[in-house]
Amino acid sequence: MKYSPALARLIEALRRLPGVGPKSAQRMAFHLLERDRDGARELGRALDAAVNGVGRCRRCRMLTDGELCPICANPGRDGSVVCVVESPADVVAVEQSGSFRGRYFVLMGHLSPLDGVGPEQLGVAQLEAVLDEGEVRELILATNPTVEGEATAHFLGELATRRGIRASRIAHGVPVGGELEYVDGGTLAHALAGRQLLG
Amino acid sequence: MRSARRVQLQPAYLLHHRPWRDSSRVVELHVREHGRVSLFAKGARRANHAWAPVLQPFLPLLVSWSGAGDGGTLTGAELDGAPVALPPARLMSGFYLNELQLKLLPRQDPHPGIYDAYADALGGLRAADAEARTLRLFEKRLLDALGYGIDYAHVAESGEPVEPAAYYHVGPERGVLGVADDPGSPYAYRGADLLSLAAEELHEPSGIAAARRLLHGQLETPLERRELGTRTVARAVRSTGVGRTNRGDGERSQ
Repeated sequence: MKYSPALARLIEALRRLPGVGPKSAQRMAFHLLERDRDGARELGRALDAAVNGVGRCRRCRMLTDGELCPICANPGRDGSVVCVVESPADVVAVEQSGSFRGRYFVLMGHLSPLDGVGPEQLGVAQLEAVLDEGEVRELILATNPTVEGEATAHFLGELATRRGIRASRIAHGVPVGGELEYVDGGTLAHALAGRQLLG
Repeated sequence: MRSARRVQLQPAYLLHHRPWRDSSRVVELHVREHGRVSLFAKGARRANHAWAPVLQPFLPLLVSWSGAGDGGTLTGAELDGAPVALPPARLMSGFYLNELQLKLLPRQDPHPGIYDAYADALGGLRAADAEARTLRLFEKRLLDALGYGIDYAHVAESGEPVEPAAYYHVGPERGVLGVADDPGSPYAYRGADLLSLAAEELHEPSGIAAARRLLHGQLETPLERRELGTRTVARAVRSTGVGRTNRGDGERSQ
């Protein structure tokens, strides 16, 4: 099927989104043009505004419009605890847990030495500047439980302890509501190593 | 014939992986009997996929795939034994061993000797205080197996044995050239250090440091002077001050 140029361009553009193949892109394009032209205009304006206006928080590298993201700008958040995560989606995940009142630092990746991704690409100088301000008492390392995430956590942990700041790693183990029988050996080994005393 | 091939439960290590499409990975494996193979691991990035905890570097695996090696599809991956992780402080060295193999192993050319040397090296990295020695031994065995090795125990031209107390010039490609007049020259090596490397002993810090200088010179030829990402990142990590004080062997390991 050969589309007209503007339609082909729209379908091609929609395919950039994750999980969108040619078929879904075509459905989205037809929907916007047939049934929701106002929505389509709004989508165009929102995209344009976001692409031009959203940068990174000066302090934590979270995606944001202003100088500081809403969390860093909020005086009610506890500045003595900083949680380091790999991506903005991880900030959302931890926020949804509702159990953290500190601030974040978003690496936008992890150490990946084979791809040449090192401290510079992860904004480590910026994290060091935050640590050197003297307010931080604990750095929580919430990088992913992968080998690369572990290497990143180890490196940042040393960075903190060298400054006399406590570094902690989030626990990995058996999922809540899960059954031991179906948990893989690596996760169980972590769960056993990180066991806690009762009472 | 080859296109319809199915390979079952082969011992392998994962050297590297990168995301592919939305939920899959491309994995670079070192398979003991097949050499370096690159495969598609479909769905491996989905949450709760059985492969997620298994397809990690440094773990002994048993892998199955279909298709003609490179570009084939991974059909099975399980742990071969207990999941013994590398200590976090040794991960950078582990990545370095993986990058050496990724850059130097020809595709689909089995080198069981290198595979076994790598398995040994991972064991060495798990043990205390053997990091630099482990890396040097793997570099030497890798060079030997790929045909870039030299005889450290004999002078190349004359075949005379190397004397422990004398100093020698060594050419990275040509071998031990002869007695060095100036022991301070960057190409001069103490006979005892050369013999220690030849015998794969390397218990003295001076021998390990000399081996590092020599082996890195030798690695430049097969690497065609390409920069190693792991060395660049290790340098950047050291420049932040991390890892400087607690290194037992008193020198850079990579």
